Amino acid sequence: MTDTYLNLVNSGVTKKLAKQLGLPQPAPLRRHQPGQPLLDGPALVLGSGADADTLAALLAGGPGLGWDLDVHRHAVPDTRYAAVVLVLTEVVHPTELSAPVLAAAGVLKGLARGGRVVTVSREAVADDAPAVAAARQGVDGLLRSLAKELRGGATGNGVVLHAGVPVDAPSSVGALRFFLSRRSAFVDGQLLVVDSSAGTLPDDWDRPLAGRVAVVTGAARGIGASIADTLARDGATVVAVDVPAAGEQLATVANRVRGTALQLDVTADDAGARILEHALQRHGRLDIVVHNAGITRDKLLANMTPDKWDSVLAVNIASQLRINEALLTSGDFTDAPRIVSLASTSGIAGNRGQTNYAASKGGVIGMVRATAPLLTAFGGTANAVAPGFIETDMTARIPALTRQVARRLNSLQQGGLPVDVAETVAFLASPAAGGVVGRVLRVCGQNMVGQ
Amino acid sequence: MTSTVVLPGVPALAGVYARGAGASGRLAVARRLGRAPSALPDVVYTVSGVRADPQQLTAYQHLLGEPASDRLPAGFVHVLAFPVATALMARTDFPLPLAGLVHLSNHVEQHRPVTLDDPLDVRAWAADLRAHRSGTQVDLVTEVRTGDTLAWRGVSTYLARGIRLGGDGAPASDEERVPFVPPTPTGRWRLAADTGRRYAAVSGDRNPIHLSSLSAKALGFPRAIAHGMYTAARALADVGAARGDAYVWSVEFAGPVLLPGTVTVRVAHDDADGFTFAGWDARSGKPHLTGTVTPLAA
Amino acid sequence: MAASTPKSRTTADPAGPRRALVLGGNRIPFARAGGKYAHASNQDMLTAALDGLVARYGLQGERIGQVAAGAVLKHSRDFNLTRESVLGSALSPETPAYDLQEACATGLETVVALTNKIRLGQLESAIAGGVDSTSDAPIAVSDRLRRVLLDLSHAKTPQQKLAAVARLRPKDLAPAAPRTDEPRTGLSMGEHQALTTAQWGITREAQDEIALLSHQRLAAAYDAGFFDDLVTPFRGLVRDANLRTDTSMEKLATLKPTFGLTLDTPATMTAGNSTPLTDGASTVLLGSDEWAAAHDLTPLAAVVDAEAGAVDFVHGVDGLLMAPAFAVPRLLARNGLTLDDFAYVEIHEAFASTVLTTLAAWESEEFGRDRLGLPGAFGKVDRSRLNVHGSSLAAGHPFAATGGRIVATISKELHRRKAAEGGTPRALVSVCAAGGLGLTAILEAA
Repeated sequence: MTDTYLNLVNSGVTKKLAKQLGLPQPAPLRRHQPGQPLLDGPALVLGSGADADTLAALLAGGPGLGWDLDVHRHAVPDTRYAAVVLVLTEVVHPTELSAPVLAAAGVLKGLARGGRVVTVSREAVADDAPAVAAARQGVDGLLRSLAKELRGGATGNGVVLHAGVPVDAPSSVGALRFFLSRRSAFVDGQLLVVDSSAGTLPDDWDRPLAGRVAVVTGAARGIGASIADTLARDGATVVAVDVPAAGEQLATVANRVRGTALQLDVTADDAGARILEHALQRHGRLDIVVHNAGITRDKLLANMTPDKWDSVLAVNIASQLRINEALLTSGDFTDAPRIVSLASTSGIAGNRGQTNYAASKGGVIGMVRATAPLLTAFGGTANAVAPGFIETDMTARIPALTRQVARRLNSLQQGGLPVDVAETVAFLASPAAGGVVGRVLRVCGQNMVGQ
Repeated sequence: MTSTVVLPGVPALAGVYARGAGASGRLAVARRLGRAPSALPDVVYTVSGVRADPQQLTAYQHLLGEPASDRLPAGFVHVLAFPVATALMARTDFPLPLAGLVHLSNHVEQHRPVTLDDPLDVRAWAADLRAHRSGTQVDLVTEVRTGDTLAWRGVSTYLARGIRLGGDGAPASDEERVPFVPPTPTGRWRLAADTGRRYAAVSGDRNPIHLSSLSAKALGFPRAIAHGMYTAARALADVGAARGDAYVWSVEFAGPVLLPGTVTVRVAHDDADGFTFAGWDARSGKPHLTGTVTPLAA
Repeated sequence: MAASTPKSRTTADPAGPRRALVLGGNRIPFARAGGKYAHASNQDMLTAALDGLVARYGLQGERIGQVAAGAVLKHSRDFNLTRESVLGSALSPETPAYDLQEACATGLETVVALTNKIRLGQLESAIAGGVDSTSDAPIAVSDRLRRVLLDLSHAKTPQQKLAAVARLRPKDLAPAAPRTDEPRTGLSMGEHQALTTAQWGITREAQDEIALLSHQRLAAAYDAGFFDDLVTPFRGLVRDANLRTDTSMEKLATLKPTFGLTLDTPATMTAGNSTPLTDGASTVLLGSDEWAAAHDLTPLAAVVDAEAGAVDFVHGVDGLLMAPAFAVPRLLARNGLTLDDFAYVEIHEAFASTVLTTLAAWESEEFGRDRLGLPGAFGKVDRSRLNVHGSSLAAGHPFAATGGRIVATISKELHRRKAAEGGTPRALVSVCAAGGLGLTAILEAA
């Protein structure tokens, strides 16, 4: 699972050589550690108007009021900025993008390694005046292109506010913080829509899941194990679920996160009831379900067999639908519940040999879109995370050359780690994400495929 | 008039055997010359103040499967006392040759417990020289006293095969021999090739027929054979604590146990308060030993 | 019979000691000797079973009142096997532990001992268990070599040392493998049971039926997910390696008898209706009502009472494995119960014929009268209540681990039955053991 290339181009002679040859120069990504500061340098908040002032105040405010960052409203020459926040919510014409965008341009060369550019804008809809919609949609193209220009592990992402959602809505603030933080190390070129003002901000940004009980399926290894670790780190009590055959590794994970292990085949008819029974009985509540369990049975459609097709659909989507139904009808999943489901870039952009897998993962995207509105009445939501190329046991089995190419096919020029997916899951599972309703957030380093 | 020979201590069996072998040789010559003794010497051998060696006792108890208590198993008292009788058998005026005597049966009355601390007074004599269908048999009686009390009495019956002592008339007709039918087993002894050597080490009985195939072959056996008293003592150990403080331990040796070998055994309650035991060859169904352990009224 | 007066007792008796509960269990799948756990030690397996239990019930860092477990085949270095396993587990290192050994009854005895402590108020929580490896059995040096080595370590002068070493002979260096023969009789357990089988006239067919049912029931329980929260895989083994889902009376009938070959009755005991040598470990989580409530754990069953027994097999009075035939009548008399009062009867399948000879003894008028001192036969066990999720013939029998397997399995079943049908169903557990031992217990749904 080691990315040898990444190590080579970042050390000694080989680093120099790669630079001279013009080879891709992926930067090692910095990832979240509890207790570390949100940014290790000043933040530049660009844009004019009340929204920009509100966010600048939030970033600069002292303990109890904000995040205590060193915030500049105008670029100070020769300053190495850790983050640039472009507040573009009040633009009504594409020409109004000029001033803030060009102001940002002036500091990009000095952006710190692993720096962050985050746009905050409003969603373009058909009801908008054409110029307003053009300005708002223009942010989309701007951000996606900018993200591809950033180097040194820096990322660009956008918070897109639905009509009527204030810039200081919990999910707006939560998403902004997530994109600024190292938790989003492998999230790049993404625009996350905040649909409502639902959600609550945590008392402790290091333990946003304190007091919450989370079920993670497929938790015995890989991304699932990392999700369990991350949710537990963020304060959740974790019920680690996997098939009985994976029980040994599952026990290790459960003991590591000080949670409980539940050996269960998620395709069982009573899987939902058993998950709920275990969580309620052992932990008194159930707040978060992460549908991570999934399998691949790759085959060109022309060669597809029923068992390969059916088993993938059964595990990857049918089981999630059945478990969700059991939870939603139980009356015990009503305290700001969160469903986070694992989709895949294959489900968005398609992948040769993965018709079955992509059908199931596309299905997940459709499922969360339709499930989330059923949960909003309880302050709940459902969303999906779509990983791109992640370094796991599964991708380690891809032939070496294919794997090397796959790794470089994104703006960060490297594969992500399971923890990158887990961080995004943890954000969408957090109380602050209550206003993100039925969306898909990609964790792909801005993979070139799909949106 | 019975004479008494007071020995200074229990003789070492090795010396006794050597003397016995010499005596047997002289006896064979004497018999050919018609001058062999035909009656038992009227003599009692005694040793007083015999004490058990704790290490030897422990080794014996471990080998036979007895608990390592300070009480001497009846078989160990035999080990301590019987060399006195053997010394008597090695006398030149003993009418049967010590070498080649076959141990037919052994009958022990354990009247009271004998412990490690008890000084033992041993008396041994020979009695009841009589005809057997295949030779002449004799009883060697050994008594062990602690203080003035009889604690242990053993009668070992030996056969001198092919030796007929004149004047006694026809051999006593053997009582009706009941054919041996193997009963339901309760256990099995797997006897290793060194069983004879190991018992020799704890008993001092280094008769060559027990020690190795080579030495046994020299004496006409295909392989070494187990000491009869080893098998009898194993059976007594199998009875265990249920034998009580005072009991009669009786055994008849029917056929030798070749080493290494397996003896299938039954050690079980009889119809009354005692035990019967038997050891046999499961393949041939032929018995090696049979016997009883019955309580002795105090 | 003991002269104690039978006295009816129930757990509801407010004057009696408090309840001791089975709260759950965990075991690793049982492997065949030399199989997947060939290189795992007793400590490895017990630690894995403990960690699986900790994971299932969220006991990480928990200070459990006491852990008791044991192994029948044990290395001398494992003098503190259970404590060492606890230290290697996710439990609090401040969890006390002790080893216990009672041959094949070890596992059940740990349950009895710890539940007694809970009932007395000495413990709030406990973990019972057992483990055995026949693959990693201790190999001892020969007695002579051991003696020489010990003397050598005590020798002071070079002469003494030389003298000690000089006693050695080449063959003394050959290791002494452990024997499973009964020390006092030299007969293996199978040979003993062959005698009992012949004594009670148990047929080959009846034994094969028991074996077949054991495999079928264990397989069905696995397929139904019954063991999902009782078993945690280990070393790539997901189900008991001995389980044969494809066995049949025909296949069982083809096996050659292995025990009782020298008896004058036909030999009936085969590798198919006898348990194979097995490696594995099991654990049972025990606690008081208060502790269970404080830890959000659902009581599965209460351990009501237990009775040990032993027979004089050395002198052939009874079969080696027949002690439970005597212990159960005493146990039931003390509790004012009959066999009909039990929804489940678990009789450890050391051999298929062990189950059958026990049942035959209980059904025998003569045995009941002459040996149990009853007016007639003790009673009959409805076969549909017997070993309902299979037993040792199918699962295997890592000696000390069997008690924990049975207690956890039947406790879950009792809880399931109560939830489904109400009432307070009871289970009788009977485990025979080497040395003519037996241990029996009553459990009831909690």
